[in-house]
This record gives sequence, structure tokens and C-alpha cells, in this order.
Amino acid sequence: MDPTPLDSLDVPALLEISEPRGSTPWAWYAIGAGILLAGINQLVSDEAKALKLAFGALSGIAIMVILFALLASSFAGMRALRAQERRLDGVAEMIQLHRWPQAAIALRQMLSQPARSAHFRIQALVYFTTVLARYDRFDDAVTIQEYLLDRGLVDPTTAFGLRIGRTMAMLRQDRLFDADRAISDLRRTPGAGDSAGVALVELYRDVKTGHPTEALEMFQRKLPILREQLGHRVADAWALVGRAYDLLGREDDARTAVANATLLAPPAELLRRYPELEKLTGRFQPAPMPAA
Amino acid sequence: MLSAEAAIHRTRRDLTLGYALKLLVPAALVGSLMIGPEPVRLALVLGVIGFWMALGLTSVRRAQLAAMSPSLIAAGRFEEAEQQIDQAIRSFSPFSAAKLRPLHHLALLRHAQRRWQETAMICRALLGQRMGAVRGLSNPARLILTDALLEMNDVRGAYESITRLYRERLSLAEVLHLMLLQLDYSARIGAWKSMFENVMAKVQMVELMPTDGAARAQAFLALAARKLGREDWAQWLGSRAQLLVDVPRLVAERPVLGELWKSDLPASGQG
Repeated sequence: MDPTPLDSLDVPALLEISEPRGSTPWAWYAIGAGILLAGINQLVSDEAKALKLAFGALSGIAIMVILFALLASSFAGMRALRAQERRLDGVAEMIQLHRWPQAAIALRQMLSQPARSAHFRIQALVYFTTVLARYDRFDDAVTIQEYLLDRGLVDPTTAFGLRIGRTMAMLRQDRLFDADRAISDLRRTPGAGDSAGVALVELYRDVKTGHPTEALEMFQRKLPILREQLGHRVADAWALVGRAYDLLGREDDARTAVANATLLAPPAELLRRYPELEKLTGRFQPAPMPAA
Repeated sequence: MLSAEAAIHRTRRDLTLGYALKLLVPAALVGSLMIGPEPVRLALVLGVIGFWMALGLTSVRRAQLAAMSPSLIAAGRFEEAEQQIDQAIRSFSPFSAAKLRPLHHLALLRHAQRRWQETAMICRALLGQRMGAVRGLSNPARLILTDALLEMNDVRGAYESITRLYRERLSLAEVLHLMLLQLDYSARIGAWKSMFENVMAKVQMVELMPTDGAARAQAFLALAARKLGREDWAQWLGSRAQLLVDVPRLVAERPVLGELWKSDLPASGQG
């Protein structure tokens, strides 16, 4: 097996290391120092004019230095935060462009040190679950998904997406009982009926557990939302439907479904996502692609 | 409902007032340090700082409220979005970001409502301002402007806008949007050859687009392929588009694409 950027990955350690560290409250120390200097200045006797003048000038300079240092450090902090935000945006684009090794390396580096903000760390972890699933590291993906969900670290929309991802990972791990329970939970969420993600997970469960009739019913009902929300990933649904038709012995329909699936996505990619499609390989021809 | 002209006028007026206020406040601070005995000076300084902070807080609160309008627009809740944008535009803020962002949201709303003339007018007004802290709005505003110009069949205006966009540093989402607009523009001027150049790279990019954009872009590429006699590509790309959206809808939005499915479409759908 080829080495991947995720070899020797220790997810629990990453979760611990990436926790943002509490910053030293320099601003409060500086304010305290300023008050202290002003207080000492007041205590110096009015009769020792030279001393009071010298101390006044010194404390003035010190306060100015403290103020400038605070300003400089807050600017540096802001710049570092913006740099991290840009890096995260870059990672999001790498994932969208399917540049998985680069995304994996960038995220691993990012999470191998304390994050500058809790928000960026959570965002990086959410992206990392996608990368881990791409590399078939479903145990690690589920660990992070559960970490984020159990602690309530994400907003409801992100949580819904994470729960769909976790259910898909469970299906890939053959944890069918857990996946079934997770699907029931998902279906109880408001708006789940209009979610293409939930429909796809259910379709996969039905095909995987040998319920092709239910899978086909679901597909026919949900095709409009699958097309609207999944874009080219609707190929996944067509491929699973191809397998459902195959299980029912409806070869012509299976052939059409496989052709539709492979019009939209390469057969190798579909097979990587759903190993169950192996049974179709060689029996149904993928849609031919025109020569360049 | 606020008209586009009124929204632009109000924003420009508030921006001018805001610039004046930004000059006046430091002057007022310096002035208050020179007037009267120490307690009066202190009170004046605190008063000026308090006034500025109150304006800042009000602006932040209004900005938080207005930040919801893009998601309302995306959900098709136009009336609620209109109300929020209206409030944000009518309220005064000395900060340009707090004034320009609602104007951008209004452009988004009018675009979603397919009111192209107003969309173009607002985008032009927005792009004519110094963006400062909200310069990130400039590329999205120009993309919306280009789209509106194409819808109005202003090919020359769209060309100028596209040329400007090519000089900017764009995010991936913006690159994808620009590619779709470029294909739309090229189809209008019949630049089939340039549309079909690097077709495989374009197809890979198209796959990253949301459904409607992906379908339309592939239909444009299929049309270019047909015009160049590459029937294999025309069939392949057309079939992909067809799997993503319903053909009559695609043709209703861009009648030129009807050529791809002439025999399949009902008479009314052929445009």
C-alpha cells in the first residue's frame, strides 16, 4: 500500500494538542503597571520637586511604551488570525478541488499545534473529517465527529452535516445497527425529509442490507432533491440504484443506471466510495467518454 | 420598499456624513481638551468618546441583524430580507462597511428577484465607492453585475466587466462563477472555438459548480461542440446536463440551448 500523508496519525493526540492555549493576560498586567506607576507618582512628596518631575517623565514614557507594545501585539495577533483564516480558506479550496494529499498535510500541520482560536480549530476539524473519510480512515473520522457533536461545538447546520458523514462512515465500517439508529435520529431532525444527504445515506443502507425495492422507491421519490442538492454527486445515487436493479435481476434498468452514474463520475471513484459496486464491474459497461 | 435610486442616494449621503464625522470627532476631542476648567474638559472628552462608542455599538448591532439577509435570500424569503436591508440602509452609521454591506445585500436580493436593471444600477454604485474594509465585496458585486448585464443582453458591458474580473485575484467559487459567465458571453458572440478550448479542464471545473451552473455550463460546452462538429462531445456533455436539470427549464433560461434538444422538446419549450 502506498504511503499517505496520514500515516502514523494519532487523532486523540491531535485533538489535545490543537486545543487553544489561554493567552497571558498582558493587557491587564500593563494596565496594572500603569496604575501602579500613577499611584507611586502621587505618593512622591510634592516638596521633592526634582524627583517628582523625573518620576513623572519616566512613568509617562513607560505608559507610552506599554501602550505601543499592546497595540503592536494586538496588530500581530490580528495578522496571525487572518493568516490562519486564509490557510483554512485554502484548505477548503483544496478539498473542493480534490487535492487530498495537500489538504491532509495542511490540516495535519495546523492541528499539530495549539490553535489561535477555537473557531478556526473547529473548522479545521470539520474539514479533517472529510479528508479522513477520503482516505478510508473511518474510525478516525468518527472519533472527531463524535468529539465535535458530543461537546456541542458546532452550529445545528454543521452538526447535521457531521451526523450524515458519521452515518456514512458507520456504513462503510459495517456498523449496520449503529448506522440504522443514526439514520432514525437523522430522520427525526426537522428538515431531514428535504435533505439529499439523508436520502443518499438511506439509499446506501438499503442497498447494503439487501433491500433494493425500498432503495428504488426512495430514489424515485427523492430524485429531484438529489439532483438539486448533490450536483454531480447524484452519480452516487445512480450507481447505488444500478446495484439495486441488479439485485432485483432487472438488467436493462441496471445498465441504464450504471451508464447514468458513469456519465457523471469516473467508475473508479464510484467504486472507491461504495465497494459494494464491485459486483457490477465487468457486467455493465460504463458510459464511454469522447476522445480529447 | 426602498427603490434602488433611493437606497443609493441614502448610502452616498450617509457615507459623506460619515467621512465628515470622522474628521469632526478628533477635532472635537482636541477642542474639548482646550476649553474650560479640568472637570469640564474631562466631561467633554468623555461625552465625545461616549457618542462615538454609541454610534459604533448601534452599527455593530444593525450589522449583526443585516448579516442574516443573504441566508434569507438563499431561502427565498425575500420579504423578510427586504425588511432587514431596508432598516440597515435607512439607519445612519459613520462606518462605510456598515453602509456598503446592506447595499450589496440589496444587489443580491434584486438579482435573486431577477430585477436586472436595478441589480446593475446598485452594483455600479457600489463599485464606484471606496470599498476599504469591505473590499472583499468588490469581486462578488462585479460578478453579479456581469450576470445582470448578460441577462439584459448588454454584451459590451459584460465584456468590460469580465475583463476587469480577469485582472483580480479570485477565490475558487468566484473563478467558477466567472467561467460560467464567460461561457454565457462567448455563446452570445458565437466564440465557439474559444469555448471549446481546453474542454477537459473546463469539464473538471464544471463538476465543482452547484447543480444549475454545472448543467448550464455543460450545455454551453455541448453547444460549442455541436457548432464545431464534435458530435461525440455534444452528446456526452448534453446528456450530463440533462441528468442534472430538466431540459425545458434549462432552455427557458437560455433559449439558445434549445438547439441541443430540438427533437426532444415540446413545441412550447423550444423558445
